[in-house]
Amino acid sequence: MYHHSARVRLSLAAISVTGLLVLAGCGSSSSSSTSSAASSSATTSAATSSAGTASSSGTSVSTSSCGPKPGVKATGTPINIGTIDTKQPGTDFSDGPNMITAYYNCVNANGGVNGHPVKLFVEYDQTQPAQVAAAAKKLIQTDHVVGIVGVFDLLECTVDQSYWKSLGIYEMGAGIAPECWSTPNSAAVNMGPRYSSDGAVQYGLSQHPSKVVFVQSNVPGTGYIAAGPAALAGAAHVPITELTENVPINDANSVALDLVNKAGSGGWVVLNFTPPEALVILQAAQKLGLEDRVKGWGCSTPCNTDFLASALGPKWNHKLFVNAELTSADDHNGPEMQLYKAILKQYGQSVAGGIGSFSQMGFLLGKFSVDALGTVKGAYTIKSVNDAFKAIKDEKTELLCQPWVYGPYPLHIPNNADFTTTPENGKMVTAQQCFNISSADPQIAQYRAAAGTAPSTNPPTS
Amino acid sequence: MPSWTDVEQFLITGLSLGGVYALSGVGMVVLYRATGVLNLAFGAVGAMGALIAWQAINHWGFSGSGGFWLAYLVAVLFGGLVTLAYGMVFGPALAQRDPLVKATATLGLALILLGVMDLLWPSSGGASRAITFPTDNNTFQIGQISVTYTNVIALVLGLVITVVTGAFLRFTKLGTAMRAMADDREITAALGVPVRRVTAAAWFGCGCLSGIAGVLLADLVALDATTLTFLVLSTLAATLIAQLRSIPITFVAAIVIGVITSEATPISSISNYRDMTPFVLAVIALLVLNRRRVISIGRQGV
Repeated sequence: MYHHSARVRLSLAAISVTGLLVLAGCGSSSSSSTSSAASSSATTSAATSSAGTASSSGTSVSTSSCGPKPGVKATGTPINIGTIDTKQPGTDFSDGPNMITAYYNCVNANGGVNGHPVKLFVEYDQTQPAQVAAAAKKLIQTDHVVGIVGVFDLLECTVDQSYWKSLGIYEMGAGIAPECWSTPNSAAVNMGPRYSSDGAVQYGLSQHPSKVVFVQSNVPGTGYIAAGPAALAGAAHVPITELTENVPINDANSVALDLVNKAGSGGWVVLNFTPPEALVILQAAQKLGLEDRVKGWGCSTPCNTDFLASALGPKWNHKLFVNAELTSADDHNGPEMQLYKAILKQYGQSVAGGIGSFSQMGFLLGKFSVDALGTVKGAYTIKSVNDAFKAIKDEKTELLCQPWVYGPYPLHIPNNADFTTTPENGKMVTAQQCFNISSADPQIAQYRAAAGTAPSTNPPTS
Repeated sequence: MPSWTDVEQFLITGLSLGGVYALSGVGMVVLYRATGVLNLAFGAVGAMGALIAWQAINHWGFSGSGGFWLAYLVAVLFGGLVTLAYGMVFGPALAQRDPLVKATATLGLALILLGVMDLLWPSSGGASRAITFPTDNNTFQIGQISVTYTNVIALVLGLVITVVTGAFLRFTKLGTAMRAMADDREITAALGVPVRRVTAAAWFGCGCLSGIAGVLLADLVALDATTLTFLVLSTLAATLIAQLRSIPITFVAAIVIGVITSEATPISSISNYRDMTPFVLAVIALLVLNRRRVISIGRQGV
């Protein structure tokens, strides 16, 4: 009797603890999920190249070319710039702001901006809206920043949009939330989960599949992302099935089997997950011998990592096609790519991931903001700085497919031309040079109607 | 509704998933029967062992098939030693505490290990890792899908561990001592059983099982700290169905959970809810078992 009641007590205890764990699991899951959404955009071409090294082998460009006066330290009044970034277990985007700081340090050591050094004030958050809102107010009221550059963040664009609008601030970032692309006061250097998924589906459609199956994490905002691929498939008159999966995925075999069965032998399966989740699905498909039972596989930007290519092995060579938002640092080594690598090596000791998408985006944001700050005449105020940001246009860069622009538009999708990559013996290599994301996505069409279609710089200079 | 071919295919993937749950479930029940502790750190210890094995294979030069098995051994030893250390340091203090306190204490270990793993093997920057068993390349065909020998190993290993540990606890002196200690530590000690040594054996054995399961699950599920740590949740349901007592029932319950979860995958209307399967089955099982107990007590009262 005693033992039975003890066991029942323990069962109740276990149920309680299970509840606790479920809560913890939910937290973790949502963290994974958000991170999933996150990497769908902010991870961009995460570590397209040899991640973890900041080697500048083959570099002939000196870092002194980042500023107007090589070797002359800027001593004027600092220009304060702010950024808010997500940094929490499992979702650490700190490489982005660290690379912006590295770029600014390089500029400051070589003449600064009109003699002024640029200082980046970094605020980190753990995906709490109140924290993000408070960080914005602190940057403005305490740190007296005059511009917002960075925002490698899961929530920032959503939370702070109205505040920035009220202050006349035009932020530049590499965010995640839909508002990073769909509002007047935000422009991103990355493409985000929706348009990256568009790119992956678009490549699949170009191979004339009989059907597309698009699957992504079951998190808030999936409807917004799925609308893009649905529009592209609709325009091509190809049936599409859109699915969501809870993450983390525990039964990858069943998921892979279900995707293949739904796609059929002529179908194309497109994944929008973080690299670990995409990897388990693709590996399960391989173990079950399913990789050849569909016409092809696609993935949005997060899959564009050498980690994934290496883990998958040669069986996936030229079978998986991944959308890539930034130029591969392996495939291109022009002057700007060399400068990026040189700055990373000399000033980017705190950029843990080394060469990769986060540091590439940080480099671009540093460069674009410094170029804009250089055009300011007179005092650096919120108005003068943000007018300069808003006026950015035709920023040619080797790291993107097309010139970058801000502009006075109701929405901003300035990165709307991409590459496609594919695994090749443990590396991601370019499978398709720059191509424009289809205007069949109504958001892309709306943006191009407002801003026009930037001429592609394809192939990028090297 | 899915066709028979679908049912057949998902039955095979379900057996594989059930084998995964069984591996963890059996390990947890073994420790519970031996120490009275529901080890919620089982998944985290296994995950860290698997990540150490990955590190050894990819960065410490444990190459080739021999290197792989050596790395696997390192993972198993890591599991055994960490769990033993935890048991030796905290076990005595927790021995007389409520089962919930004991379980929650292991949750603390799980969260600490999770933090350490996040620090040492971050998932930022697109990092994704995988462990591949040499047996992954050897497959045979059932219907339209391939089955790897790693799947077979998982299922067979689950069965073997079930039988061996069941026999160990039932027929050996050490096993009997472990069961007695789980029931009443003080009386067992009074009878002359070397408590610390027996407890140490139980913790070490459970830790080794978590190491064995960790690397196998890293191949079968994912080499991801969070995923493996919280895989315990689904496993826990199987152990509850078995009332933390019967190892064979844990095994069967795990297989049933795996099959039902898998068969629900192609059914669109319930597919996104299939992760609830373990908990729904656990709640039903507890309600039924509790009802039986009420009836039984009622009859005794009459």
